[in-house]
Amino acid sequence: MDIVLQNILKKYGNKTVLHIDKLELKAGLVTGIIGPNGSGKSTLMKIIAGLDNAFTGSLRINGGEVNQEINKNMTMVFQKPYLINTDVYNNIAYPLKIRGKSKTEINNKLQNVIRLMKLEGIAHQNACTLSGGEMQKVALARAIVFEPRLLLLDEPTANIDPQTMQLMENAISYVNQRCNTTVIIVTHNIGQLQRMCREAVFMREGKVEKQGTMRDILSNIKGTYIDEFLELDM
Amino acid sequence: MDYIIQGFGEAIGLLLSFDKEIYSIILLTLYVTLMSTFIAALIAVPLGILMGIKNFVFKKTLIRLLYTFMSMPPVIAGLFVFLILSRRGPLGQLELLFTPTAMIIAQVLLVAPIIMGITYNNTREKGKTIKQVAHTLGASKLQALVLLLFELRADILAAVVSGFGRAISEVGAVILVGGNIKGHTRVMTTSIAMLQSMGDYSQAIAIGVVLLVISFVINSILYQGQKVI
Repeated sequence: MDIVLQNILKKYGNKTVLHIDKLELKAGLVTGIIGPNGSGKSTLMKIIAGLDNAFTGSLRINGGEVNQEINKNMTMVFQKPYLINTDVYNNIAYPLKIRGKSKTEINNKLQNVIRLMKLEGIAHQNACTLSGGEMQKVALARAIVFEPRLLLLDEPTANIDPQTMQLMENAISYVNQRCNTTVIIVTHNIGQLQRMCREAVFMREGKVEKQGTMRDILSNIKGTYIDEFLELDM
Repeated sequence: MDYIIQGFGEAIGLLLSFDKEIYSIILLTLYVTLMSTFIAALIAVPLGILMGIKNFVFKKTLIRLLYTFMSMPPVIAGLFVFLILSRRGPLGQLELLFTPTAMIIAQVLLVAPIIMGITYNNTREKGKTIKQVAHTLGASKLQALVLLLFELRADILAAVVSGFGRAISEVGAVILVGGNIKGHTRVMTTSIAMLQSMGDYSQAIAIGVVLLVISFVINSILYQGQKVI
């Protein structure tokens, strides 16, 4: 799914938190969104996900307005995921159940995703009793189980151990390649950005400061704000 | 001290004697309390959820009114229902005053704001996140509502338990609209109040103990239900 945002203006009271003239995010790619806190990254994600409609401007996905069909084909994983108060298995099965999938199909898909995310040991544990890292894995498993065309990730690997992070990165790349899922990931982890993303968007004070391939983003930045930010963040 | 011990003894004696009057009081207490809690829950749970997830004009004023009603003194609720149902009142022709129905109406008036207030607070706290998650997973509005109800199930039950607690312990309103008529509108709390005024402390303690036991049993069932779901 390709995404085009034009003349986006989002304000909280008198404060402008997002002001984007034009931003295009290409279909089938993993695109990273980076920038300091308060630069509008999460607001941008919420607008794309349809969670925040209080803005002016145009958001077009696949050349059209966001409708129920597009909504059903995209999902978002939050930094602090909310899991349903039931076991891990039923959490992951939820998107398939509401899409009316058969029990056999649900079982098959769940077996695959549980194996992919290494959740075998906790599949029948209540999701609310899991550790933060396990919750993140379950949230990602629940997001990818229905093979969305657009996957929005808002710092999905913040505060988790390197092994789990690698596992999650592999799962994201797998879905991106296997299902041609467009992935947009907000991250503060430059290593992750370089490992996963072909393109990136650098945001600052609600605006797009720079956009392009990772090479574009990282070239000619000496002495610029981006250089300063990346140095500090690394 | 003797009469307190005597009261406990009489409580056991009362239950074992299968006294018809006592059991009719117990049954009427259960009927009025459970029915009023059930009706109040039917009204208050959807309204509490609606208030928690929707924004509308005068919402803040409504919340203030709701909190006021949550702490409404029972005698005021009783007086209000009494005036409405009395012969000269707007619903006087229904002839409901001094009937168990009038007692249920008064208790619904007292219990509904409690259930609604607790449900509203829990929905406000969790509702937005649950709705967001449902939306991002592709749920329709109806599916999101079902998920919301599923996620709030323990909170809703807790609200109903609180409402039940208010209903079973209530005396001021039911005595005003029920009249404490023997064999007709006499419930356990009004019996206790009457026996105390008559100086029959042992009997009052006995009924009090029975009331506590019933309350304990019903709350245990509801608590167990809360843990199971």
